[in-house]
Amino acid sequence: MTTETASVPAPQEPENAEGNRPPQEVKSPRALAWTRRRHSAARFWREYRTHRAGVVGLAALVLIALAALGAPLLVGSDAQSVTEAPGEAMQAPSGEFPLGTDQFGRDLLALLVWGARISLTVGLLAAFLSVAIGTVVGITAGHYRGWYATVIMRVTDWFLVMPTLVLAIALASVMDRSVWTIILAIGVTTWPTTARLVRAQTLAVESRPYIERARALGGGHGHIMARHVLPNVMPLVLAQTTLVISSAILTEATLAFLGLGDPTVVSWGGLLQDAREAGAVSAGDWWYLAPPGIAIAVVALAFTLCGRAVESVLNPRLGVSR
Amino acid sequence: MDRQDQHGRSRTRPAPARSRLPFVAAAAAAAAFVLTAGLATPLNPAPQKAAAEAAAEDDGKKTLTVAVAQSVDSLSPFIAQRLLSTSIHRLTYEYLTNYDPKDNHAVPAFATKWQPSADKLTWTYTIRSNSRWSDGKKATAQDAAWTFNKIMSKEGTATANSNFVTNFRKVTAPSPTQLVIELKKPQSTMAALDVPIVPKHVWEKVDDISKFNNDKDFPVVGNGPFVLTDFKVDQYVKLRANKNFWRGAPKFDELVFKTYKDQDAAVAALKKGEVSFVAGQPALTPAQANGLKGEPDVKVNNGPGRRFFALATNPGARTRDGKKFGDGHPALLDKRVRQALFLSVDRKAIVDKVFQGNAVEGAGYIPPRFSEYSWQPSAGQELGYDPQRAAKLLDEAGYEKKGGKRVGKDGKPLNLRILCHATDPNDKAVGKYLKEWWGDLGIGLKVNCLDDVSVPWYAGEYDLAFDGWSVNPDPDFVLGIHTCAALPEKAKESAATDNFICDKKYDELYEKQLAEYDPAKRAGLVKQMESWLYDSGYMNVIAYPNAVEAYRTDQIKSIATMPSAAGNIYGQDGYWSWWSAVPASGKTSSDGGSSTGVIIGIAVAAVVLAGGGALFALRRRSTADDRE
Repeated sequence: MTTETASVPAPQEPENAEGNRPPQEVKSPRALAWTRRRHSAARFWREYRTHRAGVVGLAALVLIALAALGAPLLVGSDAQSVTEAPGEAMQAPSGEFPLGTDQFGRDLLALLVWGARISLTVGLLAAFLSVAIGTVVGITAGHYRGWYATVIMRVTDWFLVMPTLVLAIALASVMDRSVWTIILAIGVTTWPTTARLVRAQTLAVESRPYIERARALGGGHGHIMARHVLPNVMPLVLAQTTLVISSAILTEATLAFLGLGDPTVVSWGGLLQDAREAGAVSAGDWWYLAPPGIAIAVVALAFTLCGRAVESVLNPRLGVSR
Repeated sequence: MDRQDQHGRSRTRPAPARSRLPFVAAAAAAAAFVLTAGLATPLNPAPQKAAAEAAAEDDGKKTLTVAVAQSVDSLSPFIAQRLLSTSIHRLTYEYLTNYDPKDNHAVPAFATKWQPSADKLTWTYTIRSNSRWSDGKKATAQDAAWTFNKIMSKEGTATANSNFVTNFRKVTAPSPTQLVIELKKPQSTMAALDVPIVPKHVWEKVDDISKFNNDKDFPVVGNGPFVLTDFKVDQYVKLRANKNFWRGAPKFDELVFKTYKDQDAAVAALKKGEVSFVAGQPALTPAQANGLKGEPDVKVNNGPGRRFFALATNPGARTRDGKKFGDGHPALLDKRVRQALFLSVDRKAIVDKVFQGNAVEGAGYIPPRFSEYSWQPSAGQELGYDPQRAAKLLDEAGYEKKGGKRVGKDGKPLNLRILCHATDPNDKAVGKYLKEWWGDLGIGLKVNCLDDVSVPWYAGEYDLAFDGWSVNPDPDFVLGIHTCAALPEKAKESAATDNFICDKKYDELYEKQLAEYDPAKRAGLVKQMESWLYDSGYMNVIAYPNAVEAYRTDQIKSIATMPSAAGNIYGQDGYWSWWSAVPASGKTSSDGGSSTGVIIGIAVAAVVLAGGGALFALRRRSTADDRE
């Protein structure tokens, strides 16, 4: 998806028209498309590389993602077990436990690595859910106009003015305590911004003549939205996703910190909550508090850096290759 | 002890309708509180400090400030059920009897003498003549009779104390110093009627007692050692000393219960000297207690508690006339499964790891602190930690282990849910252990933590639950909540029952102990009931948590625990602690460096804020620069 969208960054009519030509008119259309995609991916990467902050963010993300994926190998799969905890409760950092232990005697460094999994998963899935809802709402509202658009945009406005966190807390507290609840709570409360952005872009795209041409040639609603509008709003959506991820991770940490997460799952926000409940704040056990907080900040920052770089590479107005 | 209440499960006072109300403060508020407390305290200690000192010594008034976590549910003695509210009633009203702080036996309070008739059905109380209401009127037997009659009238006035009066036929006051209670059948709790006596001349003017919260006219007229002078919801309750109290005036001039929704914030306030006492409800965590032990002028009181912490299993919820409801797991109807679950719980590990020694390993239903009623299982009866025996029992019950999972005869894997209080860290911590122990046994467990467990609880929609009650010196109430009579009349209705237990043998024993006037014989009956409960596997007591609380020795010179040898200070069965507290000689805490924890908290907050600010700035810039 990434590379393809990168290839269709701006509403350039010829390219789209080409892309929509029936296959039999071109020799080996698949090969052609793949060449085109490869080229645009390379172009994207060349462009991305010039944004130093984006590269730093990406490097940080790759590191953290590798650590999260390799958690069972890096720190052992029983690191989360309370019954087989290796240390004493609340030990200060030492050679054996570089970040000390929690109230059950578990190694905090290992928990931090395991926590990365949940924080990243929730952040990514929630962001995708949020952006998916936002995109569907935005495109349909931009396409259909009329009373449908009016109604749906008022709903969007309503969600927009609702404080996200309060709404998410309300949702998370009425549903079961689980990771999916958190994902859902974040997803369904943070989509309005995306919807607004996508709707604006949809309106811009739909006012172009080739859309009218497609319509005249018999393109239906579904065709226009899926084949013409969606590829053209995709760059925006992609950039928006990377930016939403960081706020989703922050929201996840907040909800977990407020005790709305699944208590049997280790996440960064959950670690902070555990630390607070164990009295680490007043006891001054900084090694329990600081690392998860810093980890959250670093990941959120990394995603923002990446998102910003991606956004400026794919910016539809400026075009990909100047 | 919001914890407790919303916990719900532990009230200190007998009452028919238990409220498992939600933790009133949203966690958000708590979090905000930590932040604000953390930020405000060290940055501008001066004003608060000054205020505290002013209150403490400048005008010569000695103030004792207690940090409590619980909210007041109501200040009306007819309605209030929470520990904080009932503790306040202990301080502001007299009860017929009080408990001796040494050994919990009944001692004179509003009544100086009490005597049953030969047929044990008529009790005569001699009311003291030297007790006055704070508005100057004399407190008499008429006030007591009016109070009991009002509760018996059941005009929404029996919320808190109906279990005492259900057995009453008639209450009269033939003279100002004589109160006569006639019973339908003998009742052994007559010397332990925990009912605050209210002034008739004030309360008979109230229009609708069932809705009156007693928080309109201050000071509130009372005759206890303290007089209630002010109250702000979730902020504070203020009391001043009653100089004319018959037992002698309290040494402190003012007593303030200040609400701290976050225990860590309360601990920080104690370190700063803003509060004199941090209530052990919820108990201080081991980390907090250890941190405070190193502080100068702070004493940590770690005494045996009056609560038990148990694992309740749903025996199949039903109404009084036998209609079943709820969705408790059918496997739990098998005693072998229930016992197997408990056999695989290592109580010692929980006491060592979760409570870190601040608890006693569980056995009988009543905590060992109440020695006459506490019971230990015999060697053959004991369900110790024995996973092998547990596995055997499960095999016998027809739950074979296939591929690491216990599978029932219907081919479905055995998966259970446990109801936990989201606001109680101990529930969550023990839940983690249970998940692993039972996982080894092949049983899946879902820890379902809720702010308000009362909805699924009353609806019987749970398999297991964390349960806990504070036990009174007289165990009648905590025993009564397992009788058939306590079951709800309609499905999903709130009722006095704790865990839907209904058993003929248990009920017979309950009736017998209630009618037994001989203490030793009654204790024997109570122990039989505990033995039955233990074997049933419905109420598995894991531990008796200690009361861990702390106070500043430079503000409080001495304070009585109950029992006096080793016990709790906050939440006693009586007013002994606050009445006996002696102020230290005017010195207040040294105004030194603020605590490291707070500084670190701020540093972390600053880092997070800075990070957030940077993010925001970046986003803003990107928006401004690039976005369409």
